[in-house]
Amino acid sequence: MSVSANPLASRHREPLPRPSGGNLAQRRRRTGVFLVIPALVVMVAVILYPIARSIVLSFQEAKLSAGEIGTTWAGGENYRRISEDETFMLALRNSAFFTVSEVLLVLAIALGVALLLNTRAGRKPIYTTILLVPWVIAPVANAVLWKWILHANYGALNALLTALGITDRYVNWLGTPGLALRMLLLADVWKSVPFIALILLAGLQNIPAALYKAAKLDGANVWQRFRYVTLPGLRTPLALALVLQTIWSFKVFDLIFVLTKAGPADATLLLNFLAYRVSFNFLDFGYGAAIANIIFLIMFVLALVFIKLLKPGAPRSRANA
Amino acid sequence: MHRSGSRIAGSRLDRRSLLGGGAAAGAGLAAARYAPGLWTPGASAATNLSVLSPLAPDPAPPGVAEFAMDDFASWKTANDAEVTYEAVAWPELHDKMATNFASGTHVHDVYYMSGWVPEFAQFLTPLDDMLPQDLVDDLPPSSFSTVTWDGQRLGVVFTLSLLTLFYNMEHLEEAGLDGPPTTWDELKGYAQELTRDGRYGWVLNYGEPAGIGGTASYWMVFLQQAGGKLYGDDGMPVFNDAPGIEALQLMVDMYTNGSTDPGSISYIGINDATNILTAGNASMMMNWPFMWKPASDPATSKIVGKLGTAVLPAGSAGSASIDGTDAWTIAKTSVSPELAMKLIEFYLDPAVQTRQVLDTGWLPIRLSVLEDPEVQKGAPNAAVVLEQAQHPYDSFVTPDYNEVTQAIGTEIQRALQGEKTAEEALQDASDQVTEIVSQRLG
Repeated sequence: MSVSANPLASRHREPLPRPSGGNLAQRRRRTGVFLVIPALVVMVAVILYPIARSIVLSFQEAKLSAGEIGTTWAGGENYRRISEDETFMLALRNSAFFTVSEVLLVLAIALGVALLLNTRAGRKPIYTTILLVPWVIAPVANAVLWKWILHANYGALNALLTALGITDRYVNWLGTPGLALRMLLLADVWKSVPFIALILLAGLQNIPAALYKAAKLDGANVWQRFRYVTLPGLRTPLALALVLQTIWSFKVFDLIFVLTKAGPADATLLLNFLAYRVSFNFLDFGYGAAIANIIFLIMFVLALVFIKLLKPGAPRSRANA
Repeated sequence: MHRSGSRIAGSRLDRRSLLGGGAAAGAGLAAARYAPGLWTPGASAATNLSVLSPLAPDPAPPGVAEFAMDDFASWKTANDAEVTYEAVAWPELHDKMATNFASGTHVHDVYYMSGWVPEFAQFLTPLDDMLPQDLVDDLPPSSFSTVTWDGQRLGVVFTLSLLTLFYNMEHLEEAGLDGPPTTWDELKGYAQELTRDGRYGWVLNYGEPAGIGGTASYWMVFLQQAGGKLYGDDGMPVFNDAPGIEALQLMVDMYTNGSTDPGSISYIGINDATNILTAGNASMMMNWPFMWKPASDPATSKIVGKLGTAVLPAGSAGSASIDGTDAWTIAKTSVSPELAMKLIEFYLDPAVQTRQVLDTGWLPIRLSVLEDPEVQKGAPNAAVVLEQAQHPYDSFVTPDYNEVTQAIGTEIQRALQGEKTAEEALQDASDQVTEIVSQRLG
């Protein structure tokens, strides 16, 4: 059979000359990198450079002098000061209490809200709209709102409680050390629940209904279905919510600034506000940078720990099913 | 060839045209902002002065506060100048100017200061050779003490602002009290007697520990009334002594005996406490002269015609007060320091100072204006402030004033809350201030 009579011969082609610069996949990759470079430059300038600069600053004594920030190398002196600073320890204890309490409260309340919204009655758009109201209020506006709710003389909360007969005298919500921090916690939980609830709601809606039907057929009760179907299905969104809320709780600032300025007597002093106060009130930029880097380190480690423990998205083995 | 995009009224609307339109709009806006001459050919660009000022009702200049506006417009025309204000809430002023100065670049020409001149001295232009002599002669010599550092005059105070006593005359009359308290014992007794019917005898903003008008500065008033002072001749703290403890004990006694509004520990700004008094929910407080104006305005006060003012009650060493040290300064980075000085002279012009007191309540600093019968009639509290000025009114400002007052104020708050005794609080405060000052003095 001649080549020309071979029906397959017409399909045989001489290989096309390879274009310079590699195959299509390589060229696409190069083009992609080229297009991403501007964004990377911005990220380095806006994120990585300030972080690196802050780390360097934390090892310096930096004060305003001679018309600029004068720096001298201080080694670990700022971090040594932190280890002996009672105010820092107080802020650390307050921050730990605030963060742990807020994360637990927000996750619990948000999960409950998400479960309610994931029902037939809860799916009406009006409920989601109402849920989002606290979240869309700007942080400072939220703080001012709570300032008037918690005002010792004119506050809405005092008026409500006395009108209902729950108390017979006005409470100084922001003037009593232990109470002030708890009221700030309440204000921030109120604002944080909506977004976390939406994350968890999205996770709930991704759990196949068939799993619930199968569990029901196997005789699982409500609690067992929640424990063995819902919670495992929410592992990834829960991990995300845990990491995000931990970071947000740890860096609360606006409520402190507007409501209490860390008072009374530093009872509501948190680490983020302490870093701000040291840097901008006392103009001790090196020490402030050291405190800020401690905050960054704590949040980074916590995020890594959560992700490692919860292993979001990792397939579960048969033994753990 | 198909091209993506929709056709609207015959025009092509696609990504390329949207991007091009956006770029053209942005270029047009930038040209309008940075090259106004392109759009107004023939118009000369006036010199622009930038001023950092507090928001009213804190002491603010014409243009931020509504007074002397016609004079201000005339001044701008006569000097071919534009004045741009950045007015911020008082608690934000210090941090804003700190970041401005730290940038090392020109941000503002004129800065409002309140106790921060020593802290930012290196960024300010000395005014010794710029202040007209006739202006200097018309100012109280003591007004320069808080704006002078290292022998240089770095600012000029523009309002006579000392704390004095304000009280509700009707409340005192109801309680059968004859006139305002004149001694510490009377102050304590009156405050207790006036605490009745859901209101308190005394209110103040103890919520902000630091700065002038913060908790520490109020204690400094009582410290001086007891004959004490903050620093010795060597610059180290000397307040942990009998007068210091007496002063703090007075504040603690008035707080713990229930005669001070318990919300005081949560009131951050002076306006928070002022509102309590003008609402008739408290009977006495110490405040700055501006209070006379809002307390006399029916729109903002329930005690119109009932407010009295007097010299602060005397401790064992007599009466005393502190200076608000409200001053104008010129930044070293100013592009037009001579014009900036002219602007400050305008703020201190007798006609402007007269409108300042009559329209905003902030007293003038010019002696000739203070003695003006029209001013004395419109601001009856001026005579009281002048009398208060016969007594000590040191604000003890230093470059680390913020840090020092933060330390003292926080310990005072602990004493007020009962966490520490007055002795313990002052001892701890003294230890902290010693460390702070030692770092500065080297």
